[in-house]
Amino acid sequence: MTQAMNTTRSNEKLLDVRGLTVEIDGRNGPAVVVDGIDLYVNRGETLGVVGESGCGKSLTMLSLMRLLPNKIKVTKGSASFDGHDLQKMSNKELRKVRGGDIGFVFQDPMTSLNPVMRIGDQICEPLIYHRGMKKAEARVRAVELLRLVGIPGPEERLQAYPHELSGGMRQRVMIAIGLACNPKLLIADEPTTALDVTIQAQIVDLVKDLRAKLGMSVVWITHDLALIAGLVDRVAVLYAGTVVEDAPVDELYARPSHPYTRGLLASIPKLSDAPASRLSSIGGTPPEPGRRPKGCPFAPRCPLAEAICHERVPKLEPISGAGNHRTACFVVQKMQEAA
Amino acid sequence: MSAVPLSPVAIPDEAPVSLWRDAWYRLKRNKLAVFGLIVVLILAFAAIFGPYLTPFDYLSQDLQARNAAPSLQHLFGTDDLGRDVFSRVVFGTRTAFLVAVIVTVIAVFIGTVLGAIAGFFGNPFDRIIMWVTDMTMSVPNLLLVVVINASLKSPITKWMEAQYLATLNPFYRQTIWVDFMLVFGSMALISWPPYARLVRAQVLSIRSRPYITAAQALGLSNWIIMKRYVIPNALGPLIVSVSAGLGTAMVLESAFSFLGVGVNPPTPSWGNMISDGLRVWQHYPHLLAAPAAVLGLASVAFSFLGDGLNDALNPRGAK
Repeated sequence: MTQAMNTTRSNEKLLDVRGLTVEIDGRNGPAVVVDGIDLYVNRGETLGVVGESGCGKSLTMLSLMRLLPNKIKVTKGSASFDGHDLQKMSNKELRKVRGGDIGFVFQDPMTSLNPVMRIGDQICEPLIYHRGMKKAEARVRAVELLRLVGIPGPEERLQAYPHELSGGMRQRVMIAIGLACNPKLLIADEPTTALDVTIQAQIVDLVKDLRAKLGMSVVWITHDLALIAGLVDRVAVLYAGTVVEDAPVDELYARPSHPYTRGLLASIPKLSDAPASRLSSIGGTPPEPGRRPKGCPFAPRCPLAEAICHERVPKLEPISGAGNHRTACFVVQKMQEAA
Repeated sequence: MSAVPLSPVAIPDEAPVSLWRDAWYRLKRNKLAVFGLIVVLILAFAAIFGPYLTPFDYLSQDLQARNAAPSLQHLFGTDDLGRDVFSRVVFGTRTAFLVAVIVTVIAVFIGTVLGAIAGFFGNPFDRIIMWVTDMTMSVPNLLLVVVINASLKSPITKWMEAQYLATLNPFYRQTIWVDFMLVFGSMALISWPPYARLVRAQVLSIRSRPYITAAQALGLSNWIIMKRYVIPNALGPLIVSVSAGLGTAMVLESAFSFLGVGVNPPTPSWGNMISDGLRVWQHYPHLLAAPAAVLGLASVAFSFLGDGLNDALNPRGAK
């Protein structure tokens, strides 16, 4: 964190999500999938959102942009972006923000590009729509963007269909589209999950590089804690639709406090592990949306759980000693007070 | 604002090849499709210009030369009234194309609009539209056409007659238009449901694809998404279906004319020519063979063309 904050970055919040709750209309009535999430992203900051599959990472980001499918709805909370509440905007205002001020990079580059449209045209689309560019201007900019994301021979690539590019190239194209209008915030939803490891590293380096060049904020959603260690400034750990821990990245790795975070970090295999040692894992599975426990959602799997954990839901609170390290755990908070 | 520097670069002016040119390139390499396309083009040419080029008028009778066998003068021979069968087949092509094109255009229009609304906006539109679609499909085609013809034909003809007597405008004497209107109307009425279903299914499947969410995340409007993302992706199957549908509509029109509920004599239609020929085929087989062969050829040609288009329009299927 200390290194990250040394660079000149204002602490003004660009994105501020408060108490966001998302429910699915299921057969057995509404089920909470995102439960009162609190998140913020400062200007120029890169936030990593980490959690296992199905913990509501993607839903949270889609709900910010009001891109949720029909039966999934935001029921509570607010999300303000650059001082405006995204949930209260008219559709027209929202469309200006989408793709204009907030760029989105999706998980699967294989299916997130229109298969019957040349990539040049797809990159031009937001430029023509948001920036009112002429086709010719937009194409100049598209070439520039393709060069920026490291695609060789950008002039020829404009004419290519998505199926003519490899997965890594397509993800670069997606990033180029996300960056087309110089967004203030780039939301990348597991952008490397569908790619192989060497390409993952390339994409991470690319985004790191672009962030430095363009000075935007980035939200990087992932389930891979190790991947983003060198990329993000701050990490929010999600579990079952709530933020359980939120800390600067160095602080989180050095002193993980929530039992879930510790479990996650412990389950990353290390080269120094004894060859025959068992991989560490967290027992059990996350609660299903309709069957959340009454208390802390992690309590049933938590090795430290006490009686109170099964009764009440802990709030995300700063732990002493570090100003912006927040944890939602009764046991940790109690230990802090005792210390 | 622009943190990314804009520098002048040499860029090819416009796409040197478009989706359609790619498709044309692939279509050209498919022999059956090219055969289909050539036959369709010849038939279309015959439909548009044929009646001006044939040596005989399709109505002029030569009672000296009834039921003549094919000869250099009469390529397909003559019928029981001594009319040149070749000229009649050519004019029949016009009838067939006119009916097929207009019916298909109407049916595709109704089907696409209803299917897209049902697929894109979901319930309650979806339920109501699909209910109407299923109901229309459950009525036997032939029965519906017979009922429409039987119930509407005579009142309309009477009304036209009255109009003629009142205005003396010769337009009202052309009962051919009544035939066409009834045929177009009733055929379009039974032909749209498959298109509606096809478009609905396409839109439903496309709507949930990630690139639609990605397009929404780009801030594009529903209209642009519909136009640039949904419809182009739904187009392949629709074009194939239209091409096959044109063939089907021709066969359907012939079937109705064959049964006497379609285009009425003396306007030549392949169907009523087949119907006339069938009665005497043992003696004058050319009267049956000529229109039947052309009808078969047209139907096969549209089918081949449709299949070829299916392969050609799918950039992923490129070999």
